[in-house]
Amino acid sequence: MKAPPAHGAPPPSDGAQALAALLARAAGGDAQAFQDFYARTSAKLFGIIVRILPDSGEAEDVLQEVYVTVWRKAAEFDALRASPITWAATIARNRAIDRLRARAVRPAAPVDEAHDVADDAPDAEALMASQQDAALVAGALAGLEPRQAAAIRACYFEGLTYEALAAREGVPVGTLKSWVRRGLIKMREGLEGAA
Amino acid sequence: MSTPDDMSPDDLLAMDYALGALGRAERKAAEVRLRSDPGFRALVEGWQATLAPLDDEVAAVAPPPAVWAAIAAEITPPPRVAAAPAPAPQQLPARGWWHNLALWRGLAVGGPVAAALAVVAISTPGGEVAPQASVPAAAPAGDRLVATLAGADGKPLLAAAYDPASGAVAFAPVAAPDGEAGKVPELWVIEGKNPPRSLGVIDISRGQTHSIPRERLQGLKAGAVLAISIEPIGGSPTGAPTGPVVATGALTAA
Repeated sequence: MKAPPAHGAPPPSDGAQALAALLARAAGGDAQAFQDFYARTSAKLFGIIVRILPDSGEAEDVLQEVYVTVWRKAAEFDALRASPITWAATIARNRAIDRLRARAVRPAAPVDEAHDVADDAPDAEALMASQQDAALVAGALAGLEPRQAAAIRACYFEGLTYEALAAREGVPVGTLKSWVRRGLIKMREGLEGAA
Repeated sequence: MSTPDDMSPDDLLAMDYALGALGRAERKAAEVRLRSDPGFRALVEGWQATLAPLDDEVAAVAPPPAVWAAIAAEITPPPRVAAAPAPAPQQLPARGWWHNLALWRGLAVGGPVAAALAVVAISTPGGEVAPQASVPAAAPAGDRLVATLAGADGKPLLAAAYDPASGAVAFAPVAAPDGEAGKVPELWVIEGKNPPRSLGVIDISRGQTHSIPRERLQGLKAGAVLAISIEPIGGSPTGAPTGPVVATGALTAA
């Protein structure tokens, strides 16, 4: 497992606040603010969607849906409950998974390929959740058995169901579910201990 | 260390949902809970926050520019000039008609000759021009003027309302467009027998209100004809309409 990509410059500490301010203006009908929000977040969201839906046409459709949703729901964003980028990324992930579930099962690559961490440094650093958090989570995953960590990443990055991943890995569903769930609990406890 | 056995069924479900590992039916069931059960929603949000830093491992991928264009077309900015008459917002189609050049191009089957005939045909606006009804009665400076701009076949395309107080012209669609992209719409005013005078290119990225420099509006009054032609980016190179005149309509007192 590779470490998360190193970034030359840390994201501005006000990145989340700036995005929240743009969302607030978008909620008031400011299309220019919304375009700025798009410019700063779309590469990250599209990256997430493309991992789940590698067909780029489909991924583009979903990205469009996601931002139209963000525009319409901007007023519902609550900075106390989530960071703006996590909120938007969650919408993207959910829409992509919905699209994936709505169609037939796609051929899946083995975990060994799937858990390769991208080497490309994301280009919209201002929107990154704190790199510290990413390092903590990567550290927590590194403390798990490799297959456990790989299974968590496969579910999360590719939107695979337990059943689909179990079939791909050739293990019983119950076994896989137990790996993943134990791994996530351990990860959460590790993060809570580190916090 | 905790095991899954120590967790509540709700926490396990929240974890599976946030991870994205549930099948379609289970996801839908979980989403119903999410909307109705704040406690469950808090559990899900906790797991989402735990997992969110993993997103930093995903390579960013710049989407093609066409995606933003499609989004921009779908989100219709609300009218942004409160002082300007807001032409019947309930009549706006859900999609971004303003950004759709096809509306501006409209039924561009005829050239200036056909459009000129249309001016005569629609100089008395018909009863269907609902936007007039929403023009506020009070006008601080001069009369508000409205026009219905029709295509070459006389079919109404746009309603325009001019507010002398703000110098803004607000538009509302009357007909739904098809779909096309390309050049820019330019607004003209034709007063009496004078040649068309440009009121400027309409910036379709700026919302449904078009502001016009005050000096260009001197003497604008009922009876003048508004026209829209389709011109190269930046506006007509000659100072007179060069592209098809897609819509025209006479201003009448509101």
